[in-house]
Amino acid sequence: MICMNPLTARKLRRFRSIRRGYISALILAALLILAVSAELFVNSRALVVAYGGRLYFPTYGAMVPGTTFDLDYAYETNYRQLKKKVDADGTGWVILPPIPWNPLETDLKDDDYPPFAPSWTGGHLLGTDTVGRDILARLIYGFRTAIFFSLGLLAVTYGVGIGLGCLMGYIGGRFDLFFQRLIEIWSNVPFLYVVIIIASVMTPGFWTLIFLMALFSWMGMTWVMRTMTYREREREYVLAARAMGASRRRIIFHHILPNILSVVVTYAPFSVSGGIVALTSLDYLGFGLAPPAPSWGELLNQGWANMDAWWIAGSVIAAMTLVLTTVTFVGEAVREAFDPKMYTYYE
Amino acid sequence: MKAYFIRRLLLVIPTFLGITVMVFAVTRFVPGGPVERMIAEARSQQAGMASADQDQPLSQGQIDALNAYYGFDKPILQSYGLWLGKVMRGDLGTSTRYYDPVIDMIFDRLPISLYFGLISLVLVYGVCIPLGVAKAVRHNSRFDNVSSFLVFTGYAIPGWVIGVLLLLLFAARWEFFPLGGFVGDFYEELDTWGRVKDVVWHTVLPVISYMAGSFAVMTMLMKNTLMDNLAADYMRTAVAKGLPFRRAVFHHALRNSLIPLATSFGNNLSLILTGSFLIEKVFNIDGMGLLGYESVVERDYPVVLGVLVISSLLFLIGNIVSDLCVALTDPRVTFS
Repeated sequence: MICMNPLTARKLRRFRSIRRGYISALILAALLILAVSAELFVNSRALVVAYGGRLYFPTYGAMVPGTTFDLDYAYETNYRQLKKKVDADGTGWVILPPIPWNPLETDLKDDDYPPFAPSWTGGHLLGTDTVGRDILARLIYGFRTAIFFSLGLLAVTYGVGIGLGCLMGYIGGRFDLFFQRLIEIWSNVPFLYVVIIIASVMTPGFWTLIFLMALFSWMGMTWVMRTMTYREREREYVLAARAMGASRRRIIFHHILPNILSVVVTYAPFSVSGGIVALTSLDYLGFGLAPPAPSWGELLNQGWANMDAWWIAGSVIAAMTLVLTTVTFVGEAVREAFDPKMYTYYE
Repeated sequence: MKAYFIRRLLLVIPTFLGITVMVFAVTRFVPGGPVERMIAEARSQQAGMASADQDQPLSQGQIDALNAYYGFDKPILQSYGLWLGKVMRGDLGTSTRYYDPVIDMIFDRLPISLYFGLISLVLVYGVCIPLGVAKAVRHNSRFDNVSSFLVFTGYAIPGWVIGVLLLLLFAARWEFFPLGGFVGDFYEELDTWGRVKDVVWHTVLPVISYMAGSFAVMTMLMKNTLMDNLAADYMRTAVAKGLPFRRAVFHHALRNSLIPLATSFGNNLSLILTGSFLIEKVFNIDGMGLLGYESVVERDYPVVLGVLVISSLLFLIGNIVSDLCVALTDPRVTFS
């Protein structure tokens, strides 16, 4: 729908000329790639194992039992130990990911209790949490959860918002009035509190939580789309289309929607950061995704409860700051690129 | 305009009913309500005394009496009606956890939330308006760019996360400020001056986190509207007539730019009244928000509903006050 017409190209050029936003967008893209391919960078499974004249790629796919590598157990191979073993006796080689931990496994020591402070030699670059899970691993997988949650929420709320908003704006009349009242009422609900009450009852999963959140956050986009459609409906090109006998669906999807879709783009980054914050808040309060799912909010709660282990809260806050500021800067730049404000100045 | 506000006031009723019906229904279908908890408590007490018999510790008659006491024996609509009738008479029921009247619990906590809210409101307006003016007048200067960067960073991170960071740095690491609470442990033993110092001591960090939320929005709103007005024709006329720039800004542009700030006043108002339970939890401040949160955790449904009733009423009224503010400050607004 968005093809590279000269207008879009100019917007893109303007976006790239805003350094702060452009660099943020690049960082964000890198983080997204890292999140999608997290198994290759942060995993307890090895990337490649060469053993007994064969190559194994255990990252994706079923677990490989220890017996495959002539170990004395049938559960999943511990590749960190395997690496030590094959390095010592020279029967093969193992390439581990840069961070050889998965977000769910606990690393316990005989002489100490977690949380362990960050250290190079201990192998946990950002330390471990209170049950001995690697924080960096949990941060990266937590980011993956948060960003996909937020994108899912965005898809649902924008889907409802664009659909309903366009209909409200285009049809108008009683249909419009009914939903106007509904939105007015619905947006007065103390949103987070009600979500918490409901979540405390049903312990939601990923999609239930998205649905629950969407139930209380579809109004914003709907309202914007309604106003935009309402304005576009009066334009001549819509009149022309209608005069030529275009159906309602055709007018909305082929004529009005492409013209107002740019507004959606300017709102999207802020919705993404809003989604991340909402999920983190719920997890912090203990009403988000069920443990042991890696999540920023849960880590933040641990860090808050254990202030002495400063590395827990410190690393989550640093990660949140990085992600949320880049998203916000991208949003500002997009807004600026789509709607440049020209001011007159007096000296 | 009168009709508009009457309509808004009337809309409070369906909104209020909608919210409470929804939450009331949810709390009905929950396992682990007050009756189940009492059974569990009775069982654990018995287990301590006698042999571990797994029988029901309360008789059926006792359970029925408890169910009747909490209104669980009636169909949901009927018990909602009863509850609503009591609410209309100002009776929010009794906490199933502490056996105190809910209304008293809420009014004990309300002043604490109010205290933090009012202080941060005054500070937000007191800091953001001058800052926004300075940024607008010096648009694109280094001062503007640096402060924009800081303001946006503060905007991106939610206030309660800033609160955790502040606690980590200034309370746990360097011990400048207390770790939380509203007053210190030895508050009772202090003289008046000591008490004031103690409260202020506990106020600094939470107020910063409260402010963080609306700080960026207010500053940028102030800056952007002032810049719109600086570019307006009447400013050109004023400057062309020979009015000093300073005077033109403060006497012409600034007054018009304050209108949008009035719009957000109502939203801030409801935040003040009900507090933010995230920030109150982070700083362990015993206000409305924390009360609401703890009651959800403890499944103390009369308190949950009570907090919901009071906070949504305040929220609804806050929104109407917000519109009133706009109507009072901007003569062009008619609300038809």
